[in-house]
Amino acid sequence: MTQDTLVSTLSYLEPILCGMVLTLVLRSKEAKRYRYLVALLGVKVLSSATCLGILYSAASWRHVLEPHIAYHIYFYVYWISYALEALLSLLVIYSIFKLAMAPLKGLQTLGILVFRWVAVISIAVAMGVAFSPHLNGIKFVVAMITQLQQTSSILTLCLLLFVCFAIRPMGLSHRSRIFGISFGLGLLAVTNLVQSAWLSHGSDMKATFSIVNGIAVCLTLFVWSAYFAFPEPKRRLIVLPTTSPFLRWNQISMALGDEPGYVAVGGIPPELFAPAELEVMRRASSKMAPPEAINERQSSLSAGSSAIIHSIPA
Amino acid sequence: MKTIVRTAVAALVLTGAFASTQISSATTSSKVAVARNSAMPVPMCAPDDPNACGIAR
Repeated sequence: MTQDTLVSTLSYLEPILCGMVLTLVLRSKEAKRYRYLVALLGVKVLSSATCLGILYSAASWRHVLEPHIAYHIYFYVYWISYALEALLSLLVIYSIFKLAMAPLKGLQTLGILVFRWVAVISIAVAMGVAFSPHLNGIKFVVAMITQLQQTSSILTLCLLLFVCFAIRPMGLSHRSRIFGISFGLGLLAVTNLVQSAWLSHGSDMKATFSIVNGIAVCLTLFVWSAYFAFPEPKRRLIVLPTTSPFLRWNQISMALGDEPGYVAVGGIPPELFAPAELEVMRRASSKMAPPEAINERQSSLSAGSSAIIHSIPA
Repeated sequence: MKTIVRTAVAALVLTGAFASTQISSATTSSKVAVARNSAMPVPMCAPDDPNACGIAR
């Protein structure tokens, strides 16, 4: 089998496997839970099918699709789907993190807050790095999308590391779909980063890396198919020791977002109180005061407080 | 099993971390190292390329 044949086979295998994973996700009735993964796979299937169709038409049916028009369409379909995939990858990581942290609500809220900031900064950095004197127009867009994809890959690896080592306190196991998806994403992220590093040192290995890339994509899709084909074990009951840092941080994080209580310290008009409340306050203050003061106050209150009480509507 | 999985994940993360240090950023190079998780050919020519980037080959 020649190198070209292998690349073509892997190219045709990719949308088929994507379709298979999509079918399995829909069959497992988990599409709503993993909606961003479904969207990512959907974009992959559509873009792969369109790109393959264009490539095939440009090579075999030149009278139907002129090569220049074919390349024009291919260019935009490829880059738009690449940008969409980069954004959807970020959303998949976000949703996986949310699902993984679901039992620890406090840490989930805090983590989401941090994640959002990191995502916004990553997008800003991706745009900033792409601004360069020798990159303009299409090259700028390509550089920005590539940078975003690399940032998303680094975030994915951080998520994978977190899910793998904090799997027990979250009640998950290595057979959980959350771990399976994270592992697949991690595999894609590493391939992406290694490919970027490889290409930045020498572009003559593009064909070789297409094979490695194609194998990594197919392997990831196989892993996801396996995780969605078999039933997922139920989440374990989470039992943490009272000294667990997860528990402590969760409690602290839950308290962080609470609405504070308010105390009125002055400028309170008597209309705010009910007559019964005023009566309670009057009696309480009369009990607290010494007997001599009571006699003095009662004489003054007999005139004053009755005026206040009468001023409050019943 | 747990140790194998953890070792595999650690190896993946270390490989990714090492690879990310080897990527020359766009600010230092005029060449963009495009890496997409797909076996499809990468369209690096301009959309109005006179040879259609060799798509018909």
